[in-house]
Amino acid sequence: MYRIIATLIFCLALSAGLPPAQSHAAEKSVLDQVMERGVLRVGFDTFVPWAMKDKNGEYIGFEIDVARRVAADMGVEVEFVPTKWSGIIPALLTGKFDVIIGGMGIQPGRNLKVNFSAPYEFSGMSMVASLAAAPGLSSLADFNKPEIVLSAKTGATSVAAAKKHMPLATVRMFDDEAQALQEVLNGRANAMVASAPFPEQQAIRNPDKLYLPLGGDTFTREPIGFAVRKGDHDFLNFLNNWVLVAESEGWLAERYAYWFKTMDWETLIK
Amino acid sequence: MILTFRSLRCSCGTLCSVAAYALTMLLVVWAVLRGAESMGYNWQWYRIPRFIFLPDGSPGPLLQGAGITLLVSGLGFVGAAVLALGTALLRLSDSVVGQALARGYLELIRNTPLLVQIFFIYFVLAPAVDLGRMSSAVLALALFEGAYASEIIRAGILGIPRGQWEGALSLGMKRSSVYRQVILPQALRNVLPPLTSQGVSLVKDSALVSTIAIYDLTMHGQAIIAETFLSFEIWFVVAAIYLVFTLTLSSLARLLEKRSSSHLEDSCTG
Amino acid sequence: MIPATRQIPNRGLQTGRRRAALTRLDAVLVALLAAGVGYIAWRVHAQGGRAWEWEVLGQYLLREDGRPGLLLQGLFTTIRLTCWSALIALVLGALAGLARTSPSLYLRLVGGTYVELCRNLPPLVLIFLCYFFLADQIAPSIGLQDSLRTAPDAVKTVAGVLFGRLDQVDAFVTAAITLGLYEGAYVAEIVRGGIRSVDAGQWEAGRAQGFTRFGLMTYIIMPQAVRNMIPPLAGQIISTIKDSAIVSVISIQELTFQGMQLMATTYLTMEVWTCVALLYFVLTFSCSMGAARLEYRLRRRYSV
Repeated sequence: MYRIIATLIFCLALSAGLPPAQSHAAEKSVLDQVMERGVLRVGFDTFVPWAMKDKNGEYIGFEIDVARRVAADMGVEVEFVPTKWSGIIPALLTGKFDVIIGGMGIQPGRNLKVNFSAPYEFSGMSMVASLAAAPGLSSLADFNKPEIVLSAKTGATSVAAAKKHMPLATVRMFDDEAQALQEVLNGRANAMVASAPFPEQQAIRNPDKLYLPLGGDTFTREPIGFAVRKGDHDFLNFLNNWVLVAESEGWLAERYAYWFKTMDWETLIK
Repeated sequence: MILTFRSLRCSCGTLCSVAAYALTMLLVVWAVLRGAESMGYNWQWYRIPRFIFLPDGSPGPLLQGAGITLLVSGLGFVGAAVLALGTALLRLSDSVVGQALARGYLELIRNTPLLVQIFFIYFVLAPAVDLGRMSSAVLALALFEGAYASEIIRAGILGIPRGQWEGALSLGMKRSSVYRQVILPQALRNVLPPLTSQGVSLVKDSALVSTIAIYDLTMHGQAIIAETFLSFEIWFVVAAIYLVFTLTLSSLARLLEKRSSSHLEDSCTG
Repeated sequence: MIPATRQIPNRGLQTGRRRAALTRLDAVLVALLAAGVGYIAWRVHAQGGRAWEWEVLGQYLLREDGRPGLLLQGLFTTIRLTCWSALIALVLGALAGLARTSPSLYLRLVGGTYVELCRNLPPLVLIFLCYFFLADQIAPSIGLQDSLRTAPDAVKTVAGVLFGRLDQVDAFVTAAITLGLYEGAYVAEIVRGGIRSVDAGQWEAGRAQGFTRFGLMTYIIMPQAVRNMIPPLAGQIISTIKDSAIVSVISIQELTFQGMQLMATTYLTMEVWTCVALLYFVLTFSCSMGAARLEYRLRRRYSV
């Protein structure tokens, strides 16, 4: 028994005397790590059409194209790490991947924890409502009532937007936007708040159950950027300039038009 | 310093063992803290009390979630008890259809995960028969726990000595009266400890209903983390609250077990 | 005490073969069943239920080129996860179970803490805790994913069979360790029960012969205990198959996760969840049948 106690005290003393374990902030830049490793690990969550799986199980979407281009420009391979949106920032902070390329809205609250690049995309919130549960509504004020139930994706900016513009309504959060949509399709929620063009596409798909109360207009406008861990200036600088270049080439606009303004890619998933 | 089995035998009594145990636990906690530190995670415990108790003293989101957890568990337990009794009786009955029904129910429930059952009931069954969200969750929990509880009750009924049956039937009682007045009171008293353990399982499984956006303790925890990113602090607090519930129930089960076995001893010697 | 043999309360004092005739209860049950099914069918129809599209699921089970589709891949991941976590659980559980039955109070306390903690926490909360914490500490230190990236092709193929998609090995390892930790607590209780089920006379005789505790355990107690443990252990492994569904919340691409993704892309809720439930059923039912056979053969070989 004495031996056990002695061993334990020895371990405690030893580790108390050790220098603190290397924190991520003291490590070299993610840029160097990625170049050495030869792979860029990208965190994202499926959200049609930003990122989704095609019939063969490969990832496709606007964010996927952007991620592939970033990795190609760095001269490395890309590795996708699908992560639940509600846990994606903690996952970035604990080093599960190098960057979040998944349509993450730039928000001050998030910025306290992670760094954002310059915006490479602008998104806005819109709504799709249930014909059965909430017919004939046409403005935000119509939805700003206590008996209205809105559905949204956990951790997404849609939640904050819903709470800000319709504070009296109840917001129910789901891990998946498909589950949130299912609520509206079943008539259990009156409407779903999500980034355009998701509501518009769903209204086209289900004309007998859904309609667009705001007529397809967005009621917010938010910048979307890459998210990286704090304290890494080199990687941030690389990403900022990448956005500048891709934008000047018109590549970003062309990809955006393909994924968001057309439905040509639907054959890939069905 | 080889720790042989001989040296592990305590030579200075329980005090040494307890001290060594306390040291080990300290070592574990310290390792956890060091690990978190190396992740660059900054602990913000001062933000937590606000989520347990609001400034005016009313319960905060976490305690409200705990209340919902208790509600869902309680209702689920009642449902499970009813189903369990019915199924156990069906299996012990004459009826061919009844036995087939009971067996089918048991095999179906025991061979599929609870999560899949919850999703099935909520996304497939509930829209069809217009069940609410809470009802779906309670139904899923009742069905799942009822299957396991029915086996416990059946074992309890089969464990009643044949003499009870013979005595009751020879007094001219009908089968249903025998069950109601002789067998079930004894059987239920005997299986109360394992049933209480089943109650512990119920409380633990109730965490899964957060996946269909019921605002129980787990869901509230996830919602708070999505806004504030206090991952570890919140999860530790949530775990602690669950431990309070389950450890209480476990101790109750152990107490009941001790009392019922001592009760048996008395009746044997008396 | 010899447990009561299969008493059939409804037989009462009768003997002889059971009748196969239908009773009044049968009629009532059939009527209730028909009413229930009919009601559900009517409600589904009245809601304008769309036609079921089972063919769409076909391509998610098996692709045109013969390779397994998303659902089957998910099934394979579930099987892999179960195997690895069962392995970890057996090791951890054996250690904890031995600790809980040791004469040393220290070991009993440590083992007891682990078992009680993991048995009283909801698995969902445990998974979230371990995922954020363990994954950053343990997976990188094992460094499996990184080292596999630069491994020769033969190693990569073998690793692919063992671990699944090579770009998600770290997450897989974390999930396996977490699940193994959770199940290990239950295995510990089974091990403890197995050791205690060995007759006290065996301990006494062994000590009288002068065995040390280590020798006693190795040569006398454990062989008997392990035989008693096998049926409940098989049951626990089957439980692991079902508990593996929970790791879908940390985006491990197992069967339930694939089901959720499929529901997200195709919105065919009914078909998807029926298929997923069926796949789990087939998996666990066949394992249960296997376990029952194993138990039967063990009992026949070793019953005194």
